[in-house]
Amino acid sequence: MKGFTAFFSKEVRELIRTKRLMILAAVFIVVGIMNPAIAKLTPKIIEMEAETFDSMGMTVGEVKVTAMDCWTQFIKNIPMALIVLLIMMSGAYTSEYAKGTLIPLLTKGLSRSAVVLSKFFVMLTVWSAGLWLCFGITYFYSGYYWDNSAVKELPFAAFGWWLFGVLMISCIVFFSSFAGSAGQVMLGTGAAYFAMTMIGMYKKAAEYLPSRLCDCASLYKGELEPSDYFKAAVITAAVSLVLVAAALPLTNRRQL
Amino acid sequence: MNVLEVRDIKKSFGSKKVLEGVSFSVPENCVFGFIGRNGAGKTTTMRAVLGLLKTDGGEIDVCGERVSYGCTPKSGCIGFLPDVPEFYGYMNAREYLTLCGDITGIDRSTLKSRCSELLELVGLDKEKHRIKGYSRGMKQRLGIAQALINRPKLLICDEPTSALDPVGRKEILDILSTAKEQTSVVFSTHILSDVERICTQVAFLEGGRTAFSGSIEEIHAMKSDTALELTLARPEDTGRVTATFPGCTVSEGKLIFPKASDSDQAELMAFLGAQAIPVMRLERHEADLEDLFMEVIGK
Repeated sequence: MKGFTAFFSKEVRELIRTKRLMILAAVFIVVGIMNPAIAKLTPKIIEMEAETFDSMGMTVGEVKVTAMDCWTQFIKNIPMALIVLLIMMSGAYTSEYAKGTLIPLLTKGLSRSAVVLSKFFVMLTVWSAGLWLCFGITYFYSGYYWDNSAVKELPFAAFGWWLFGVLMISCIVFFSSFAGSAGQVMLGTGAAYFAMTMIGMYKKAAEYLPSRLCDCASLYKGELEPSDYFKAAVITAAVSLVLVAAALPLTNRRQL
Repeated sequence: MNVLEVRDIKKSFGSKKVLEGVSFSVPENCVFGFIGRNGAGKTTTMRAVLGLLKTDGGEIDVCGERVSYGCTPKSGCIGFLPDVPEFYGYMNAREYLTLCGDITGIDRSTLKSRCSELLELVGLDKEKHRIKGYSRGMKQRLGIAQALINRPKLLICDEPTSALDPVGRKEILDILSTAKEQTSVVFSTHILSDVERICTQVAFLEGGRTAFSGSIEEIHAMKSDTALELTLARPEDTGRVTATFPGCTVSEGKLIFPKASDSDQAELMAFLGAQAIPVMRLERHEADLEDLFMEVIGK
């Protein structure tokens, strides 16, 4: 445990000193502000372009923006923030293995599991804080300009995205236990996502897949209930747990 | 008691056999020189001792505890300085040592004084900058400090002096000699003068085996056959000397008497005196580590 706490605080210090935390915070804040901003500006943009549309033979009527548009932006933009986070964290393990910075610490009795888990928890903390910060900002502006109650299940939808992010982070942890570089880790994580999309083509499988959690639009409109996400949520959580658990013995066996 | 016992360890990478039975032991409070050519398997052996490498056979005991792969001998026993130590560039030396201390579980109040003590020992106490700006010598010194943080019984240094300038080398050797009072030091090197300077025990690694292992005195005893080197004032006298001492050889105008005992030397001097042969120079050559090393590696 002492190894875990010492290494965890080292990780936090690393995030701050290498300015990665600042960049990520900026990304989540910008996305949070962008969601209502884009929704708010859409009518103006369309108005400005009205003439162009006119010349193309299209007539644009009055566009009415609601909270729904703002939250649609949220689910469109949050993946971007997640991808930035994943790319920035993809080398968290492999760069340490490659440089050999862990050797002096491991020979002092730091367990490899402590390394794997503390990095995982740091990523988890950053993702959780970032997502809910982004959610909070969007919620505040959306409530200020429009009416949030028009959109259903807001926190649950965000929770779905959060859980999906946890799975992606677990993929990084898992692939890092044997991959040689950040590129390979990203490739593996991307492949996992791709595989999920492929399986999702079977309609029957869709409700069991983690990607179901990203389908927030149906939730917002009330077409689906949170209970419809139950199976996907349980499977996502279980797969994440398995991936992280599998990373521990794999990392222990890894030649450093 | 021996701090480190290595018995017959073997390791191959694919079809390449790197270690084919390395054995040696390191007693308490000594500086142990682990000598071998580049690629002889020094680093491989050390990594095996640290549990960072899976061996194909053999046993390693550190402080009486068996070492197995993936699990470093319990903390407090071993300190390790890698050949090119890598640290977190965004920390300064004190922060790094504090991290190391936290990992080994030293309590904060002891740790603070321990850090100051070590930074002073390695001469980094006035250094406030972050590690990313450090020279290799400074990193090497910080490496020793971090290796000593938990007062290990065994300090393993992998070629600590190989890449340093003469000043840096001297500093590292001085620090290692000082460290000997608290711990046993094993250091690998191919710089023989370093070994002669501070080591009390040595092991030669050649062809994946320990070709020799013992104390510096044992080496000198083994090679007690001191050679004499004689340079005559008049080269034409050479024939008279070689006629009397058939064992000697002539090379570059010098007469070499291999394996000459003290009485051989007296006999030679008596002969030179009796024959009134003028001598320019007569020199005794103690066998040194280099001779033995060359003999061991068969060159």
